[in-house]
Amino acid sequence: MKRILRRSTLIFAVTIAFIGGMGYLSFQLITNADDWVDQPYNAHISGSGGLEQAGAVFDRNGDVLAQTVDGRRVYNEDTSVRKSLLHVVGDNSLNISTAVQSMYRSQLTGYNLVWGLNMPQTLRKSNDIKLTVDAKTCAAAYDVLSSYDKKGACVVYNYRTGDVICSVSTQAYDPEAPPEITEENESEYDGVYLDNVLSSSYTPGSVFKIVTAAAAIENIPDIFERTWNCSGSEEIGGSDVTCVDVHGTINFEQAMAYSCNVVFAELAVELGSEKMTETAEKIGINLTYDVDGVATSKGHYDVSKANTNQLAWSGVGQYNDQVNPMQMAIICGAIANGGTSTSPHIVNDGASEVLSAIGIKSGFGSREMFSADTAEKLDQIMRYTITDYYGNDLFGGLTVCAKTGTGEVGKDKEPNAWMVGYSKDEDCPLAFACVVEDSGFGFTYAGPVVEAAMIQAAKSLNSSAVQ
Amino acid sequence: MFDLSVIFDIGVVALRIIMPVYAIVIVYQCYAAMRRRRRPEKPLVTLYNMQTGLKLPVLFWENSIGRSKGSDILIDDPAVSRNHCVLLRRKEGWFVNDTGSKSGTYVNGRKTNGRTRVLINDTITVGNSSFEFRRGEEYDEKIRASWFFSRVSSKPAIKSWKLMLLITIFHFFMCVEAMFWNDGTNAESPLVMFGALAAVEWGFFFVSTIILRRVNFELESLALFLTGIGVIILVRQAERSAYVQLIAASVGMAVFCVLIKLIEDPDKVIKLRIPMMIAAVGLLLLSIVFGRVTNGAANWIYIGSISVQPSELVKIIYIFIGASALDKLQTNKNLIEFIIFSAICVGLLAVMGDFGTALIFFMTFLLIAFMRSGDFKTIILAVAAAVFGVTFVLKFKPYVADRFSAWGHVWEHTQDNGGYQQARVLTYIASGGLFGVGIGNGFLKQVAASESDLVFGLVSEEMGVIVAITLAIAVGALVIYARAITTRSRSTFYSISACCAAGLLVTQLSLNVFGATAILPLTGVTFPFISSGGSSIISCWGLIAFIKAADERTYAVKR
Repeated sequence: MKRILRRSTLIFAVTIAFIGGMGYLSFQLITNADDWVDQPYNAHISGSGGLEQAGAVFDRNGDVLAQTVDGRRVYNEDTSVRKSLLHVVGDNSLNISTAVQSMYRSQLTGYNLVWGLNMPQTLRKSNDIKLTVDAKTCAAAYDVLSSYDKKGACVVYNYRTGDVICSVSTQAYDPEAPPEITEENESEYDGVYLDNVLSSSYTPGSVFKIVTAAAAIENIPDIFERTWNCSGSEEIGGSDVTCVDVHGTINFEQAMAYSCNVVFAELAVELGSEKMTETAEKIGINLTYDVDGVATSKGHYDVSKANTNQLAWSGVGQYNDQVNPMQMAIICGAIANGGTSTSPHIVNDGASEVLSAIGIKSGFGSREMFSADTAEKLDQIMRYTITDYYGNDLFGGLTVCAKTGTGEVGKDKEPNAWMVGYSKDEDCPLAFACVVEDSGFGFTYAGPVVEAAMIQAAKSLNSSAVQ
Repeated sequence: MFDLSVIFDIGVVALRIIMPVYAIVIVYQCYAAMRRRRRPEKPLVTLYNMQTGLKLPVLFWENSIGRSKGSDILIDDPAVSRNHCVLLRRKEGWFVNDTGSKSGTYVNGRKTNGRTRVLINDTITVGNSSFEFRRGEEYDEKIRASWFFSRVSSKPAIKSWKLMLLITIFHFFMCVEAMFWNDGTNAESPLVMFGALAAVEWGFFFVSTIILRRVNFELESLALFLTGIGVIILVRQAERSAYVQLIAASVGMAVFCVLIKLIEDPDKVIKLRIPMMIAAVGLLLLSIVFGRVTNGAANWIYIGSISVQPSELVKIIYIFIGASALDKLQTNKNLIEFIIFSAICVGLLAVMGDFGTALIFFMTFLLIAFMRSGDFKTIILAVAAAVFGVTFVLKFKPYVADRFSAWGHVWEHTQDNGGYQQARVLTYIASGGLFGVGIGNGFLKQVAASESDLVFGLVSEEMGVIVAITLAIAVGALVIYARAITTRSRSTFYSISACCAAGLLVTQLSLNVFGATAILPLTGVTFPFISSGGSSIISCWGLIAFIKAADERTYAVKR
């Protein structure tokens, strides 16, 4: 009997395993409950029913973007504002999974772990959410972007605080009247639930020259003394690399300003795949960024299988290069910041405000993308691009540095029009990125969107440059 | 402004908050009562060493006497064999049984042959030592009790009928919640259900205490508490199933009583072994031949409109055979027969595709094999064989491998079979919060198998995660109770069967809870007592019969 009793202690192994599992489950529940709740299939919160008692969503100025009135969800009274912020705010459904009303539905509806979603409606306390976006800026950008009737994205964010001022994605629809998507009109609304700012990647074209330029500045000491001769095209690695123009004899700054493919293709080959990859990795082209819990679509730079010609094209943002709009804005913000990036956020949790008020820069998630010296030199040539090539009066009185791009996507599509950059004004420290799919020259299409967004953003921030 | 609906809502919320506290109180009271009402820690009899004058306490119903360290009564005498003889108590009295010693065992100077009766003041001689057989009261030193029973406060345990009343009121509150569900239709039907449930509960209570004159009712109370929750949670999901479940539970209670009667005499148990084995294999073969395939597992057979899952009933037989194979105490270390039987059972279950149950059998096999042999080598060998078997299974049953492939990645598989159920369980557990959304207001009930495989999620969503965890702990703590009462078991058969039955239930519980919550792959086993399923609940009641039988008070009829 004694033996049996001693041996029977083995069954406590089962008990210990059980207790361990219960502990693990509880831990998981406590740490992840709100993620578990925010699922599109969760019948407690999905459908318009879930928002019957939900809190309001405000923009940075306290303007209502969405609120519940008498059990009905209503959105901002301005159509442009509604459509421009569709992908940020979301609609009644959970179709736009990255939108605030999907991601934060549990908070809006008053979820917490203790009460779950079990409180009767009369007793439930809902929470409001304040966003960092400016409704007017978004509407201004949307009006221009939507006029092309193309898919695209425009993002503007404060590279000092991380506040996203404007985030617009087209194609959009009115959240007050969401379209019924059936099998017939499916193709018409292809990708409409996708927030292109966060969830799409595009061929960058010449905006990728920022990366190539950074690699050249860091690795070629006499880069600013050199000159090149551009005859409109040049054979590199057996095929031609073509330019949009015959640029003649130009230096590095001019090459950037005129966006000379020949120069940057040659530079990419001269630097070699290793140095190019090293710089691209440092800048984080292949990384994803976290914006309030949404992982941005990854960029892509991989020349491990490229031949010389393909390496050359990769230096001008073609080959298989891909970048995400938010990512480009972050990179531009890093240049403006002296090389270090600032993580963007769209939900105003108050924490960063408090931190900056007491003099601490919220450095969470920031990384060094460029050395201070490289950032300064990039700043110089990107500024030159505006002053020398596009003219300084574009952005009201703002001191803007930028780069345009025209990403050829081949097939039967027109190129992606890009414009990325930032303003240097102390009272308006904004980085931007804009892309218009299937359109044409970068400056022609992306330029007006950025211009509208930046001028309105500067006004909203009360910048002295646009008074 | 005075809004009546607010007051009403406050009442509903207050009830939901009370329920978890109430559930904890009931489970606590059940276990607290199990710890009490035990005879004082005194030896059953005393052996008085006539040479040295030392008194040896005889603590168990079956005691090995010998020179080896593991002996219950250790005699330091070179003439005594390592395992000399066995001193055992049966209904008729005390016996001594020589277990192949060199020098033999003598009672009153006469050499024994086979089981020999020993009376008070007889002399038992082993080797060069002689002992006088005396009453237990003559031992005057204190004996340490198992911690489960020690330091019990002097406060008397809650009366059985009061405990039952507490449980019935809990079930009534559940019905009230179900009456005021959001849907609003069919408001009175839970009351009818409650009436039926209460009748079964109290009927069983009277049968047990008045007709069978059992002294204690705590284990049954706990099982009734869980069973009732399982029944009522079904009211708002599939009302007909709730009644089926209640009827099956009544059958289970009958099985419980019959089984206790059947294993009353530990000596007769052995004779039932072979017919039981044949029955087990027969049942499993039956479901292979006539089984209908559901989710890739052919573990259901249909007789008319009644569906039975024979593998559930085989669990009872398995414990029975595992614990009964000893022909003489401690003398049979031969596990071959049992290993072959286990291999056949697990093999047949694997053929059926019921891998969850196969795993439960395997874990139970490990427990039984270890308790019987004390040999780690056997365990390691068995585990090695199992790993080999699993590799084999994964190669030839691709749907099992699919379950493993989604394991740990349920959030990437919320819309396919890989993680559909588990993701919903987690979402709705979180949605329920600590206190639940109220009975009938959950959405997990729309997911397939929510009332059986995913019932932990269903209870969490509707009654709150506190209640769900309390219920899991209530089942889990059966191991501690089973282990603690085995010190007083009337035979090693009861010790082994009780511990292993409890071990089986906890293994099953773990697979259910952790499978549903994506910590383990979902294997489709039931939550003991709560999951809907007739065969399952009958098997659970059958299994706790072993635990009940291990308590020496069970067969001591109230005078």
